[in-house]
Amino acid sequence: MIDTTLSADRLTLGYGDRHVLEDLSLTLPSGRVTAILGPNGCGKSTLLKAFARLIRPLAGRVTLAGRDLHRQDTKALARRLAILPQAPLAPDGITVGDLVKRGRAPWRGLLSPWTRADVEACAAALEAVAMKGLADRPLAELSGGQRQRAWLALVLAQATPLLLLDEPTTFLDLPHQIEVLSLLRRRNRDAGTTVVSVLHDLNLAARFCDHLVLLGSDGAVAQGAPDAVLTAEHLDQAFGLRALVQPDPVTGTPLVIPL
Amino acid sequence: MKGAIVLLAVLLVASAASILIGEVPLGLGDLWQGMIGGGGPGALTVRVIRAPRAAVALGAGAALGLSGAAFQTLLRNPLAAPDLLGFTSGAGLAILLSLTLGLTLPLPLVGAAGGLATAVLVAVLAHRQGRGLVPITVILVGIGTGFTISAFGTLLMTRLPGAEAAEAQRWLTGSLAARDWGQAMQVWCVGGALAALLALQGRALDLLSLGDDLAAGLGLRVGRARLGVAATGVGLAAAGVAVAGPVPFVALMAGPLGARLTGARGVRGRLMAAAGAGAAVTLLADLASRVALPGIQLPIGVFTGVLGAPYLLWRLSREMEKGEL
Repeated sequence: MIDTTLSADRLTLGYGDRHVLEDLSLTLPSGRVTAILGPNGCGKSTLLKAFARLIRPLAGRVTLAGRDLHRQDTKALARRLAILPQAPLAPDGITVGDLVKRGRAPWRGLLSPWTRADVEACAAALEAVAMKGLADRPLAELSGGQRQRAWLALVLAQATPLLLLDEPTTFLDLPHQIEVLSLLRRRNRDAGTTVVSVLHDLNLAARFCDHLVLLGSDGAVAQGAPDAVLTAEHLDQAFGLRALVQPDPVTGTPLVIPL
Repeated sequence: MKGAIVLLAVLLVASAASILIGEVPLGLGDLWQGMIGGGGPGALTVRVIRAPRAAVALGAGAALGLSGAAFQTLLRNPLAAPDLLGFTSGAGLAILLSLTLGLTLPLPLVGAAGGLATAVLVAVLAHRQGRGLVPITVILVGIGTGFTISAFGTLLMTRLPGAEAAEAQRWLTGSLAARDWGQAMQVWCVGGALAALLALQGRALDLLSLGDDLAAGLGLRVGRARLGVAATGVGLAAAGVAVAGPVPFVALMAGPLGARLTGARGVRGRLMAAAGAGAAVTLLADLASRVALPGIQLPIGVFTGVLGAPYLLWRLSREMEKGEL
């Protein structure tokens, strides 16, 4: 199994003079499904972008399997690490199939032809999101849930052992949120893909993830297994939220009930 | 596919028409004689006067159209074209300056230098700390810069003696009068090489159209890719300006017009459609400028303006409706 451990080492992130996160150190375990949680504006997305080498740290460093992200070839890195941003742009009139094909970019040279591996990866990605029959449909004609699955298929076609997602369930209704999270869980189980996503729903995160990182306004409040992280005390620290935490009657994972 | 054939047919008919129609009326026989190298005054008119002019119009229009589509894709805004951004005016002014000073440098290079200098100036003026380059800011700064450059050009022209001033007009508003085969070869070779270079960047443009973050996640060096496309786009605009002057609105209209005509979806298809549409618009506008008023050759810019200005107004109102202006 490829080591996909992502680590932040005394990381300071921000824009110009404004520091969003300061002196943060944490490790996201390889082969697990991790959620980054926290109140709005605490720097969840900024942290995810740093893990995806989309922004440069102001101080400290981010490593993948012990190696500094910013000292690696962009394309080689794109074969190991995929990121689905919160609001990717859809080119005018693009079909689902064409969108998914773009996920193969890091595997192709400037003039290299379309290979069998590319075809298979795209087919597998469409299969994984149950959209095989929709490849020829324009993205704009699809429902919100289908559209999100098409974007997921793009990053699945990238065939990376590590997958980062920025709020993949935002704007989706509850059944579609569960659909997306189950899909990620399945990907982790079947392909061993390490999944890291920024999520809002604490209970869904507890249900679908192995590892949680809880950020507050002053950096990390807690990290670890869901029942260790989602405690009344931590929730108060991170969100200023008074809540009762009980075992979920269905899964036994922590269930947050705001008071 | 059907649209592409229509566009090709328009190009063919427009080429034939612009060779046959003019002060000396010619027939298909003269066209044939001219093409196979036969004799007669009609054949001479075809070979020496009208065919090179049409070839320059096609080449320059295609180069301007490609440049427009490249910038529109790059900045994800239909208003982002090198004529509206002032780059073509900058290229024209640089050429005018070098001619006035009596420098004997290749015009495409001088034009590219002027276009690049304008692009850098616009980028620096439009850059906002912490937010980088916002397309709409770039466009507004570009329009202002373009006007300033035109004013300088006009000032320069008024200082020139009569005959030179008439020639200088070409580099301010564009003209296809008195073009020869040398210029046609030049725009086809330079434009062709740059078009090939742009085609090589088609995959990068494909990825950039997904947004910078996803493009970077897919292994693209976003900053470098943007610079590459911008430089190629400026080069293409300069190649067109070097033979035809800064003909306005061709670059602005070609991309959307080509996409509408051909229904092309992919980046490469749209670029080709833009080249075709740019060539067709330029050729037809030149034809109109020659035949609209008998005995008088109007500048081609008058007719691209007649088409382009209403298009620009319509586009602006659309952008305002979307709340982007």
